[in-house]
Amino acid sequence: MVNAGKQLITGLGVLLLLAVLSTSCYAMDYPDEVELDSLADLYEPVVFDHAMHVDVTENCSECHHHTTGTGVANEYCAKCHTGDVEMDVVACQDCHSADPVSIENLRNPQPGYSYHNDQPSLKAAYHLKCLGCHQNVDGPTGCEDCHAKTEAGDKFYRSGEFAPKEPAHSSAH
Amino acid sequence: MKKLATYGVKPHDAALKADGKQWSLMEKLLLGLTLDQYIGQVLRNKLNWVLAIIFAIGIPVIIYRFIFSLGAVTHASYDYPWGLFLGFGLFCMVPLSASGFMLGTTVEIFGRHDFEPIERLALLNGLLGYFFAVVYLLVDLGQPWRLSYPMVYSFGPAAVLFLVGWHVATYLSVQVAEVSTAFFEWIGFKRGYDFIRKGTVGLTVAGIILSTLHQGALGALFLYAPGKVHPLWYSSAFQWIHFFTSSIPAGLSMVICVSTIVIYTMKWRCDQRFIDNLDRITISLAKGAAMGLSTYLIIKLIAVAHDNEWAYLATGWGTWWLLEIVGFVFAPLVLLSYAIRHKLVGLCRVGAFWVVAGIILNRLNTALITFNWQLYQEIPHKFEIIISVTIFAIYVTTYRFILNRLPILYKFKPQADE
Amino acid sequence: MSKITRRKFLAGSAAGGAAMMMTPAKKAFAAGSFEGFPDGMGVLVDLTRCVGCRTCEAACNVEQKLPEPALPFDDTSVFDEMHHGQKRRTTDKAYTIVNRYEPKSADEPLYRKIQCNHCNEPACLTSCFVNAYKKTPEGAVIYNSKVCVGCRNCMIACPFHIPAYTYSSVLNPVIKKCIFCYDTRLKEGRPPACVESCPQQVMTFGKRKDLMVIAHERIKKNPGKYVDHVYGEKEVGGTGWFYLSNVPFEEAGFDVNLPKKPIIDNVKDFLAIVPMVLTIWPALFTGFHLLATKGKSHGHGDDNSHDKQEGH
Repeated sequence: MVNAGKQLITGLGVLLLLAVLSTSCYAMDYPDEVELDSLADLYEPVVFDHAMHVDVTENCSECHHHTTGTGVANEYCAKCHTGDVEMDVVACQDCHSADPVSIENLRNPQPGYSYHNDQPSLKAAYHLKCLGCHQNVDGPTGCEDCHAKTEAGDKFYRSGEFAPKEPAHSSAH
Repeated sequence: MKKLATYGVKPHDAALKADGKQWSLMEKLLLGLTLDQYIGQVLRNKLNWVLAIIFAIGIPVIIYRFIFSLGAVTHASYDYPWGLFLGFGLFCMVPLSASGFMLGTTVEIFGRHDFEPIERLALLNGLLGYFFAVVYLLVDLGQPWRLSYPMVYSFGPAAVLFLVGWHVATYLSVQVAEVSTAFFEWIGFKRGYDFIRKGTVGLTVAGIILSTLHQGALGALFLYAPGKVHPLWYSSAFQWIHFFTSSIPAGLSMVICVSTIVIYTMKWRCDQRFIDNLDRITISLAKGAAMGLSTYLIIKLIAVAHDNEWAYLATGWGTWWLLEIVGFVFAPLVLLSYAIRHKLVGLCRVGAFWVVAGIILNRLNTALITFNWQLYQEIPHKFEIIISVTIFAIYVTTYRFILNRLPILYKFKPQADE
Repeated sequence: MSKITRRKFLAGSAAGGAAMMMTPAKKAFAAGSFEGFPDGMGVLVDLTRCVGCRTCEAACNVEQKLPEPALPFDDTSVFDEMHHGQKRRTTDKAYTIVNRYEPKSADEPLYRKIQCNHCNEPACLTSCFVNAYKKTPEGAVIYNSKVCVGCRNCMIACPFHIPAYTYSSVLNPVIKKCIFCYDTRLKEGRPPACVESCPQQVMTFGKRKDLMVIAHERIKKNPGKYVDHVYGEKEVGGTGWFYLSNVPFEEAGFDVNLPKKPIIDNVKDFLAIVPMVLTIWPALFTGFHLLATKGKSHGHGDDNSHDKQEGH
């Protein structure tokens, strides 16, 4: 149930529009809509209105860091990445592992190399990026504003039809 | 009993009857009275009625606790895992029972045989206090049937409670041995008596060691909760010394209190030796209590200075602390000193009750009242109070049962007088 | 190294004290297993990321097969619940809970997940007289209900108010607390359910010492974002779970007055006197006895012949 890890891995098999397109696109060549469904389990997939977000953001780097060749938002990253080179991969899941925060994922590729060693997992990358920005710009921030809960989700959260029948009184009378 | 005495009935107090015959066990249990006489005096005693009412209410509640769990008789608090059962039953009963080792030391080690008339009362007070502390513990433990686990099954030797457990258990056995001399006399088992008497010094020294350690250990238990006990009642350097030194006036005052109650309500059971010596002994005990109390007061103040906690005195908790220290340590100390100087036995007795109240206040303050001072205060569940009172009533009943019978307040005579 | 020696010494002294009257084989159990495990796992909790969705609570409930909650896990009204003027705490039915705080120094509310912090030198463990607790090499503080007597000293000792007790059980009341999902996950090297379920990766799972580096790097790489303190790095001797915050920790409900040393260090002064009392007292008081009674009759009436021999 809670084993999101397995779900994530199986979910990877699902086609991601973004992943296909990203390999051949230029700076201004982007998908209008992206279905984020690789992690869908407790919640329905998110149909992400990419075009709308392109309109409301000033720069691709706000979400894509230094990968789109359109500059670098974070000063810290800018120390190494000049931001004028477009990378081969720009999709979130190309860098952010869908595996849960496991010991392997945390291991530094190069000992002593202190960059890219604190990278959020894919699920966290989505949420931190989306929610972090939404909180600042007063975008929707409720869980179900972006993705509806599935039946599995209701069961997991004990909500909807799985809600506790009556307020359980504490057993210590 | 007084009434019977006017009829010329004398209680059992010697190995043999006046006519040289052995008393039967039944006769001993009935104090040498006939069954009718015995029942008659039981019914006449008003205290028995009070106790009966307490038992009628309290015993069912105790049974209720064992059928419906601890959660049914307490607030089942996670923040106050130790309620009244331990706060009063363990942390108050144990210091009030420190009398055993102190009088034992005085008489047996320092050879002060002038204290002998009260030695057995002090030993019995110790034994019963510890025993009932364990009874309180059994009510409080989640799984009391596992009480022996730290002794035989699974050891946590670095824990203070491990030390308390072992020492209380061992000390209880020591005290049973010490008090058993009175029992052996009463039951007429001369060899047992002689055997125990031979080991008296050993037993007494063992008692001192065990008492020093576990009286202190009870204080050290709170060293595990540095943030929870209010700083004025907590001292990482002195906590165990506070508990140990305060147990000295506590135990001595408790003996004065008990002997006072005894001399006013059970005079028939005291022999002339006890009655004649009691005033002198009371003043001497009060002297000891006053000395202990002044030491305690000084160390309390040193502890506040040591941790530089003067600022807390300006708070509400500080007022409460001052009330305890001034009202229940300093004030009785002044009273006792005055009473000792002017040889006023009555005032010594008042002072002793005052000291006992102060010790109870101190232990409740440490274990319950100021515990979690940064969270909230909790008033014990009504069943918790009822059970605590009931166990105390059982303690009183047992105490009286033994005082009535065993040669504690009187010296056993080989043969009864005509 | 000296630390281990000291602990063994303390354990030995308490054991010695306990076993003084009945002495069988006290050495056999004198060595408590308190050694910190440098390769133990830990969790870095970044409070700035938590949005109070309570997914971790739900995940814990499922993973640990806990009873049904009073309210659904997506119900945020629980943040307003108060008991005795206190926010929610862990119970025997909820090993982890999320609370909401309104810090003075931030505009936004702050959410904080509470669970066992899996101390390096746990007070629950060192206070337990039947050794029911164990700090595993993987970093979890686990509990053996089979030997628990139910004295609840661990609840007194825990500086974080974590262990809860099943008071309502008649025959088998036990302590209930977060065990780092030891049985089902940690043992196999997998992160606990709450960590895995978190959408915001508030929690990062890894070796404690690696995470500590990351924690300090996060503070350094994001100037002005965090207060310069990792709560749990030093507190009570270091905890397996430790915290980053954008507001002073007291504003997020943390006890900032906890000692930097393990709780057991408080008790060591007392434990150190145990061997002293055990060795000096018998000689001292027997000596007093001999001096005090020299040449005197013992005046016990029927018994003047008592033996000055030691009883043990």
